[in-house]
Amino acid sequence: MQHPYVVARELTKAFDAKPVLHDVSFEVRPGDVIGVLGKNGAGKTTLLELVLGFTPASRGRVEVFGHESYRLPGAAKARVGFVPQQDELVNQLTAGDQLKLIRSFYATWDDALVARLIDVWDIELGERVKNMSVGQRQKLSILLALGHRPDLLILDEPVASLDPLARRHFLEQIVEIAADGNRSVVLSSHIVSDIERLANRIWILKDGRLHWQGDFDDLRDSVVRVHLRIAQPLRAQIPNALTVDLGRSHATAVVHGWSAELEAEIAELTGTTPEVEGLTLEDIFLAMHR
Amino acid sequence: MPLHRQLYEQIRRMVASGQLAPGTALPSIRELALTHTINPMTVSKVYARLETEGVLERNRGKPMTVAAQRRAQAPYSVRLASLDLPLENLVLAARQLELDADAVIEALREKWEKSDAAPIRGRARADKGV
Repeated sequence: MQHPYVVARELTKAFDAKPVLHDVSFEVRPGDVIGVLGKNGAGKTTLLELVLGFTPASRGRVEVFGHESYRLPGAAKARVGFVPQQDELVNQLTAGDQLKLIRSFYATWDDALVARLIDVWDIELGERVKNMSVGQRQKLSILLALGHRPDLLILDEPVASLDPLARRHFLEQIVEIAADGNRSVVLSSHIVSDIERLANRIWILKDGRLHWQGDFDDLRDSVVRVHLRIAQPLRAQIPNALTVDLGRSHATAVVHGWSAELEAEIAELTGTTPEVEGLTLEDIFLAMHR
Repeated sequence: MPLHRQLYEQIRRMVASGQLAPGTALPSIRELALTHTINPMTVSKVYARLETEGVLERNRGKPMTVAAQRRAQAPYSVRLASLDLPLENLVLAARQLELDADAVIEALREKWEKSDAAPIRGRARADKGV
């Protein structure tokens, strides 16, 4: 098996003694599309910035392509692409000059891909960056991160200002990268349905901790909704319940850690066989935050 | 409904209704992933599952195809299991409406008996899923 592109161990980050991330460990393997979910302030941006080496960890360590991220050599940096939440484009430049500037940093550049995206995204190369709309700036910013065909693409809320068509083109680019099989994407987004489409692994951040991480399939198997037909009011609590809704003749609960054992336990406690329903990622995320 | 399940059900239904005839080539994993903008691994898992169930056939170096004579091969239990999802949906809807199971089963039986007179295939085709 190939070595993971990113390995983070017991990573902690505090700003002015205020901890933002506590003791998080994770890996990004070749071919992974990782969806990062969390409420505002959960620590998503800080986590991504630690991987990118923008800021040193307070404790712990994160390695990217085998090197400590904060001291990443140029050759390894050239394998990383990043789309920040707030773009870092140079206002005074035209889109075309901005493109040339970024292109000059890299030994390889996919001119065909860039030309195609400039075309479908209607990017006016002569226009000054400062005069571009937020959406156009975001497109340019994504394009700049894709041009050198990074092995590791990190995106922090990249689609917030994209119109539906541009977003679709963006999603297609992620699918193309995933289809390569050995390039990886770490995508933080509030648009849970996008993550549901694209990710094979999920990280859920809550209060600066990795509340859940693993294969999306395992998450779907683990957090489910159960329907119980009940003859009399439930006397016992439903074990592992994240949410419970009680009706007159039936109860519904979202439970975590679903297994044959849990099913048997619930069946015994309630005297009925639970019916299981799979959940969307959004349902899972919401249940974890109730 | 989770996406992989939607895709799985869609292909199953299209094969069952004859929209995808035996021998028909399916889109490549990459094509289907792009069409639906979903992770290619999701498509690959759905194809693998349908292959295990005998709905699709893998062909070395060529696109996957709809398996021949699936209807004759699929065991009764597999065909019955393919109704899981619509049945679950029916149960959910009935519960939300606080209907009685016996009444729903009776209504289903009536529909069943009526459908004897009408061609099922045409109806299945109108319901394209997803």
